[in-house]
Amino acid sequence: MRVHRSRTASPCTSLLAIFTLMVLLFGALPFAYSQAPEWQQIPIPTLPPFHPAEPKRLELPNGLVIFLQEDHELPLIDGSIRIRGGSRDEPAQKVGLVQLYGDVWRTGGTKSQTGDQMDDYLESRAAKVETGGGVDATSLGWSCLKDDFDDVFKIILDLIHDPEFRADKLDLAQKQYAEAIARRNDNPGAIAARESAKLAYGPDNPYARQMEYATLEAVKRDDLLAWHKKYIHPNNMIIGVSGDFDAAAMEKKLKNAFAGLPKGPVLPEPKIEPHPAQPGYYLVNKEDVNQSNVRMVAPGTDRHNPDYFAIEVFNEVMGGGFSSRLVQDIRTAKGLAYSVGGGIGTAFDHPGITRFVLGTKSERTIESIEALYKDVDDLKTHPITDDEIKRAKDSILNSFIFNFDTPDKVLRERMAYQFYGYPLNFLEQYRAGIEKATVADVNRVAAKYLHKDQLAVLVVGNPKDFDKPLSALGPVKNVDITIPTPPGEEQAAGESPAAPAASNPEGKALAAKVVESMGGAAKLKTVHAIQAKLSQESKEKEEAASQLTLTIVYPDHMHLAMDSPMGPMAVVFTPTGAFMAAQGQVRPIPPSGAKESLEQIKRDPTFIASRVDDPKFTFTANGSEKVGNVDAKIVDVNADGTALRWYVDPARGVLLRESYTATGNSGPFQGETDLSEWKSFDGVSFPTRHVNKQDGKESSVVTFTEVHINPQLDPKLFDKPATTRPPAQQ
Amino acid sequence: MKRPAVRTLVLLLLLTVVACAQDLASFEKRTTVKTLSNGLTVVILERPEAPVFSFFTHVDAGSVQDPMGKTGLAHMFEHMAFKGTDKIGTTNYPAEKAALAKVETEYAAYIAERDKRVDRDENKVKQLEKAWKDAIDEAQKYVKPNEFGEIVERQGGEGMNANTSDDETNYFYSFPANRLELWAYLESERFLHPVMREFYKERDVVIEERRLRTDSNPIGRLVEQFINASFQAHPYHRPTVGWMSDLNSFSATDAQQFFDEYYIPSNMVVAVVGDVKSSETIPIAEKYFGRLPTKPVPDERTTTEPPQNSERRVILRQSAQPFYIEGYHRPDYRSPDDAVYDAISDLMSNGRTSRLYRALVRDKKIAAFAAGFSGLPGNKYPHLFSFYAVPVPGHTPQELGDAIHAEIDRIKKEDISDDELKMIKTRAKADLIRGLADNAGLAQQLAIYQSRYGDWRELFRSVDRIDKVTKADIRRVANQTFTENNRTVGINETIKTAPASQGGAQ
Repeated sequence: MRVHRSRTASPCTSLLAIFTLMVLLFGALPFAYSQAPEWQQIPIPTLPPFHPAEPKRLELPNGLVIFLQEDHELPLIDGSIRIRGGSRDEPAQKVGLVQLYGDVWRTGGTKSQTGDQMDDYLESRAAKVETGGGVDATSLGWSCLKDDFDDVFKIILDLIHDPEFRADKLDLAQKQYAEAIARRNDNPGAIAARESAKLAYGPDNPYARQMEYATLEAVKRDDLLAWHKKYIHPNNMIIGVSGDFDAAAMEKKLKNAFAGLPKGPVLPEPKIEPHPAQPGYYLVNKEDVNQSNVRMVAPGTDRHNPDYFAIEVFNEVMGGGFSSRLVQDIRTAKGLAYSVGGGIGTAFDHPGITRFVLGTKSERTIESIEALYKDVDDLKTHPITDDEIKRAKDSILNSFIFNFDTPDKVLRERMAYQFYGYPLNFLEQYRAGIEKATVADVNRVAAKYLHKDQLAVLVVGNPKDFDKPLSALGPVKNVDITIPTPPGEEQAAGESPAAPAASNPEGKALAAKVVESMGGAAKLKTVHAIQAKLSQESKEKEEAASQLTLTIVYPDHMHLAMDSPMGPMAVVFTPTGAFMAAQGQVRPIPPSGAKESLEQIKRDPTFIASRVDDPKFTFTANGSEKVGNVDAKIVDVNADGTALRWYVDPARGVLLRESYTATGNSGPFQGETDLSEWKSFDGVSFPTRHVNKQDGKESSVVTFTEVHINPQLDPKLFDKPATTRPPAQQ
Repeated sequence: MKRPAVRTLVLLLLLTVVACAQDLASFEKRTTVKTLSNGLTVVILERPEAPVFSFFTHVDAGSVQDPMGKTGLAHMFEHMAFKGTDKIGTTNYPAEKAALAKVETEYAAYIAERDKRVDRDENKVKQLEKAWKDAIDEAQKYVKPNEFGEIVERQGGEGMNANTSDDETNYFYSFPANRLELWAYLESERFLHPVMREFYKERDVVIEERRLRTDSNPIGRLVEQFINASFQAHPYHRPTVGWMSDLNSFSATDAQQFFDEYYIPSNMVVAVVGDVKSSETIPIAEKYFGRLPTKPVPDERTTTEPPQNSERRVILRQSAQPFYIEGYHRPDYRSPDDAVYDAISDLMSNGRTSRLYRALVRDKKIAAFAAGFSGLPGNKYPHLFSFYAVPVPGHTPQELGDAIHAEIDRIKKEDISDDELKMIKTRAKADLIRGLADNAGLAQQLAIYQSRYGDWRELFRSVDRIDKVTKADIRRVANQTFTENNRTVGINETIKTAPASQGGAQ
């Protein structure tokens, strides 16, 4: 459904537009233009020019930059020190270090007084000194009545020079963050924000990774001391002070305190590249909610980009405020969501996250995603119009004054530009950039930075209430949000909040039948390896069937050999590495590909059937469905963390079909394999015909011609062959 | 005004600084109160720091006024106040008005059949539902969606929003100073000619808001049940957002009736703070807000919650992390002991020197956070002084409850220290000052104090009242309030659930 009024420029409306413009520009007054709406007849006088107080900037020879903003309205002196270096710079095995540092810097006190003593001293003066850790910086901030400033400043200097990071406060902070970890899956909005950042940047990316019990515990007091030593240098700090003081006197105080500090080494800029997830659908199954949180994400850009200003206008049109396309359509016209919004992401010094966000009732989840898609598609079919641009620019420019209507805002703005290396008059550049952005610019950036097929779509919700399965839109990957247990604490199976569903008696009984039909438990338990010749016929490409030899040593070694026109080729997957060998060359296979291939072993019926008594394997009967003419029983199988579904002929115990989610060359897909032509080899029954489907489309047929149970194997089968030629340059 | 009441404060402030703008005398000079002939009160504070202003419209009606069976109506009207007027948001109001009337007729017929207990005809329900939805589609043809909000945004409005609580409904945003008259037009117009357009779609949005804040939020679920158990007679027991069945029943006609009854000028205070002159603002206010018709004062009597004489417990067993909350009934904000409760709240909760932080977080190491405060779910009527705490892993809600009770026993049995009392008073003064440099915050405070006390100066006097609190007051009020029979406890007990991450994609 299209919600935007199409506007054709008739002479009348353009006259009105010009007139409105005049009103806006010159504050034109009384008039009796009968067509103009009443509100437009209200005079708007010209806003007098306003030049906010500029903070004084000084740079000491040791590199310290200071901003001083006098503001005598109230008897307060507030300030902050911003220090380069934040959580994006902490080691991966100690995620949480910077947050702990930010807390314990203040609570851990100094050599001369404990944090608790500081609390008493400051609170009796209604003063605050607090420290904190962020993504790219740590900070120390304060607020006090002006007469207390000298006392408070002593504490600030003491914290800079002699922090103690007392162990009891580190322990306390670790306990509090442990609580936050334990609680992090309670709030669906927080889950969506966290997991979507991982999709946009990659799960281990410093902008997305999260602390775990293990990384939290790994942080020691020495790490905090080392961090302080590494980052606290004058050339790595910016100080801003605002309030009721005399700038010359304050300058003297600060110089006395800081000019003597030696310059420190210049720290390298972090180099962090986003590694976004494959586009597609990702699901966090949360059973205790009746609303779905939807996030569509991709990496965005940074604000050095000359397109930034056009992007800002685009974002205002698309997702900024009441009059934006998304609010008009999804909230107002369709009533789908209370909160909806989004746009192309920008950050000061790294790509932001392009993101569309909404919350909708479970029963309208798929409808909402389709509505969001439609609004993205509409950008092509109904490009942004002059009117929309004008409205967006009015909105940004008429409210522009709110960027600098208090001295404190001006100070913070300048500090940010200094920190990120932007010109200090960037706000002026911003205004000019917004004014200059044309309709063509805005439509161009929409087309350049927004691609529907590159968005990863995350849903945090309760899929059993969805209007349609999420898989109706495409292959779905389940996102596991299980919280890893603290090191040294084994979680009893079945007690973990995210442990697989316990087997139910019917599921167990069906699994037992399958075991019987495949040769019986006793026989299956003896199977430790299997080798087969097979022929694979692709249904997607016009090519001859491939002849392969497959060898599996359970649970985690796989070898595939084939004769190609260029000679023999082998692909090997083991937990320690995966590679492809051909023509004397060996090429590694990335860990993600290897993991996916090893998942295939865990879905292998022989593998599962020989482990039905293992508590890590669960079987849950879950209704029935027709497979061919058979009313097959559905069994949800969890094979040591790998989920799949069996369709079992209840009369004969024969496994007819399995379905699963897997990842192929072009991202995740919903897989389905029909198993037939069971034959017995050495007392083990094996399906010799596999018909594979991807997302409902037949993709290949595999026929097994020879199957050997526990074959004699070359002991070096899984070893990397010596290369005869150097690998080609990649 | 009563001079003696403010002397202490002024003296204290004189000690710190003489020429600053934070004392009552300075505010007296810059603040004007005008009650219009229709009863609406305007408070204007000149603060010409930058060419902008903020306003805050306070309507002295909230979800406590929701009629039986129509919970959520006050909040629903708040949403409707963004839908425009007979001139804004429509392409043809006479036609739209007729179409909206038809929507109401069809809706009434539909729910009459839908809600029949006997002889309901499902086919007829479907037909009537369709007729109602067709009428909605017809009315939609005349709508210019979100035009009201669009005008505000496009004219430079900043921070436009509104909120509804049990006690009141508030509307606010900021504008460049040259839009004062435009603001007065828009703000008065929305309460002069509100139009209930797109009502049923907005009702769906509100239902999503309920799902967001309550149904899909484990602490939201617990707090709703906890408040519900704490109040049995007073309307505070009902959620502001409304019960789901009410949200699926009430009509645009109901919302209009709510507006007609409670949005009367004498129930409204509008505060304007910033680069405005009272000499120019008052005539503008008279011109625009003076148009609101005078209406009879509604009967706002409600049942007074009777004394609670037995402990109540609400235990939610859900998969979320544990949480503890308890509440004790206390008198309303006009109680002479109001400042004593403020002092107790500050003593128990404010920062790392607070009693609860030091006992539960720092020393016993059983909580990540703990606090005690007034104002749940509102404070216009007798309400709760509540304590809540979040355990660190490995500790139970009951341990937190026991530790909170130990701290309550301390303030019942022992005087607090001189240093603590001094700290409470110093902080109250400093916090007041910190709030004075912000147009939006000031507009909010002035409007609320003017409405609640009939005099905005109470904002300054409230600090003076805290200054008079004694150690004996704290012991007396603690003993009076924090008793077992006056207590309701809410606990979230964690239970394990089935898989959170597997099997959903099938």
